[in-house]
Amino acid sequence: MEQMEVDVDMSAKPSTSSSSGGASKSQDLTPDQQAQPQGNIMAAAGISGSVTISLHPLVIMNISEHWTRFRAQHGEPRQVYGALIGKQKGRNIEIMNSFELKTDVIGDETVINKDYYNKKEQQYKQVFSDLDFIGWYTTGENPTADDIKIQKQIAAINECPIMLQLNPLSRSVDHLPLKLFESLIDLVDGEATMLFVPLTYTLATEEAERIGVDHVARMTSNESGEKSVVAEHLVAQDSAIKMLNTRIKIVLQYIRDVEAGKLRANQEILREAYALCHRLPVMQVPAFQEEFYTQCNDVGLISYLGTLTKGCNDMHHFVNKFNMLYDRQGSSRRMRGLYY
Amino acid sequence: MDTDAAQKTWELENNIQTLPSCDEIFRYDAEQQRQIIDAKPWEKDPHFFKDIKISALALLKMVMHARSGGTLEVMGLMLGKVEDNTMIVMDAFALPVEGTETRVNAQAQAYEYMTAYMEAAKEVGRMEHAVGWYHSHPGYGCWLSGIDVSTQMLNQTYQEPFVAIVVDPVRTVSAGKVCLGAFRTYPKGYKPPNEEPSEYQTIPLNKIEDFGVHCKQYYPLEISYFKSALDRKLLDSLWNKYWVNTLGSSGLLTNTEYTTGQIMDLSEKLEQSENFLGRGTDVNEKRSEDKLSKATRDCSRSTIELIHGLMAQIVKDKLFNKVGLGK
Repeated sequence: MEQMEVDVDMSAKPSTSSSSGGASKSQDLTPDQQAQPQGNIMAAAGISGSVTISLHPLVIMNISEHWTRFRAQHGEPRQVYGALIGKQKGRNIEIMNSFELKTDVIGDETVINKDYYNKKEQQYKQVFSDLDFIGWYTTGENPTADDIKIQKQIAAINECPIMLQLNPLSRSVDHLPLKLFESLIDLVDGEATMLFVPLTYTLATEEAERIGVDHVARMTSNESGEKSVVAEHLVAQDSAIKMLNTRIKIVLQYIRDVEAGKLRANQEILREAYALCHRLPVMQVPAFQEEFYTQCNDVGLISYLGTLTKGCNDMHHFVNKFNMLYDRQGSSRRMRGLYY
Repeated sequence: MDTDAAQKTWELENNIQTLPSCDEIFRYDAEQQRQIIDAKPWEKDPHFFKDIKISALALLKMVMHARSGGTLEVMGLMLGKVEDNTMIVMDAFALPVEGTETRVNAQAQAYEYMTAYMEAAKEVGRMEHAVGWYHSHPGYGCWLSGIDVSTQMLNQTYQEPFVAIVVDPVRTVSAGKVCLGAFRTYPKGYKPPNEEPSEYQTIPLNKIEDFGVHCKQYYPLEISYFKSALDRKLLDSLWNKYWVNTLGSSGLLTNTEYTTGQIMDLSEKLEQSENFLGRGTDVNEKRSEDKLSKATRDCSRSTIELIHGLMAQIVKDKLFNKVGLGK
């Protein structure tokens, strides 16, 4: 099961990674443009990130709220800044939470208010003692030279900060409008320059968070009045399976097109698709079957007991009502014992 | 080229600088809030607040925080505002307090933290005041205990408008939907006019007394949730990555401990009702009947949850283990 998920996720990934790769490639194709006022801020396309990131949905919601609130209060969209906190284990970074940062504008430059950061750091350490400062977030479409300046400021706090950029005005629904970057120092024209390297990420989640997100995501569509507990549960499963189905269809379509000669074969994708098929059925070990049957039996037994209890209760109600009717007439209390 | 131009204009037109109406709620009107707070309409009617609106962010934060506490109770504060009969919760933050039932009330260090936090929040444009506190009841349902009631009464005397929210992270996971309740207490000595039966919920045997004694001292608020236009968009795309987790989770495995606890509790409740039945006297008849019916209801609820878990497992088994066998 676990393996399966990972693979499905991988097969979905080429679209996202190729789009970010495409962005940096297009910059590569026009090197003269790169040197323009924008400045060279993206590393060459070949360099891949050194860390893997998992991101919690809470962070995304936090940034979204921060941005919306600023827009509501100032009447216009603004770039917002904040800090990301989470856990780092070796090369794996898990971004768990975030908080807003205060910025001052000095001249044209945006400066992160260090005092404010220190104050907030002290506060979150009291509540989430196991979380560390990981990086920062902002809004916008693509990293700019100004973002490099901020990255340099942040680097004073954490040596290699992660930058997360959310594009609130993007209209694509297919993938999340956010990008993650780390920075590296490279020699450009003989000068040490800070460059952004795009990172890929996965969404991390935890059961309660999943339910929370499900809840808020579907809360408006769910108010049709008609409420079946079974349907509620199955709808979530159903839409997940539908999603799996569409993903598989994409893979299938791709293979068909390759077969028909419409597309050039990409060995890597074909290999992955083959591995995916090869793994089915996922679990065929007798040990699993046994455990699965035990689980089924357990639940079966519990529902049997539950039904019995319900039957007893109904019986009890019936006897009570029966007694009520006949007790009045007979009015003998001794008789009652008979009916129990 | 034409399509390019068309897209440009379309984008320009859609780059709306004005606020979508659903985001209006995110604006904070300090003047209006001060007027409401000065007017104190809630002093005249103990039943003044009827609804509560919780932002998606606040909900997520509370659920996550409650879950991170495990079996310990955690506590935090909520920031928000008031509008007519509705309290609006915009954000929530955790307080550095955790403990057992007896210890969950804000103490000196928490107060200090609280003021510092709110001051810092104001600096980044979060203008709302504290409108309530939340804490978790891991595994025993959403209601106010005796201590919670007295804490909330104190808060409602000095910090109005104030609301108490209780989250049950364990039941949230086991039932697959957010288990959360929002309450306000009545002033001391106030008798609620009509005793509308509140929604039935399962309460473990060892807490039932605490619940029964105090359950007439507060009333629940109608809860609704809201999200911004951007939230909606992000959540839609989030689902594109998220469905794997829905398919991958197994309610049966994550909740084994809770299920066992539920069964233990059930057997105790059934035993009690049996004792009452055995006596079979007229005086106890009404109550014993209640006990058995209640136990039955609890029993049905946990059974349904388990069946749901099993259904998911069977679906997955059919989907991933039964394919490719035909060859």
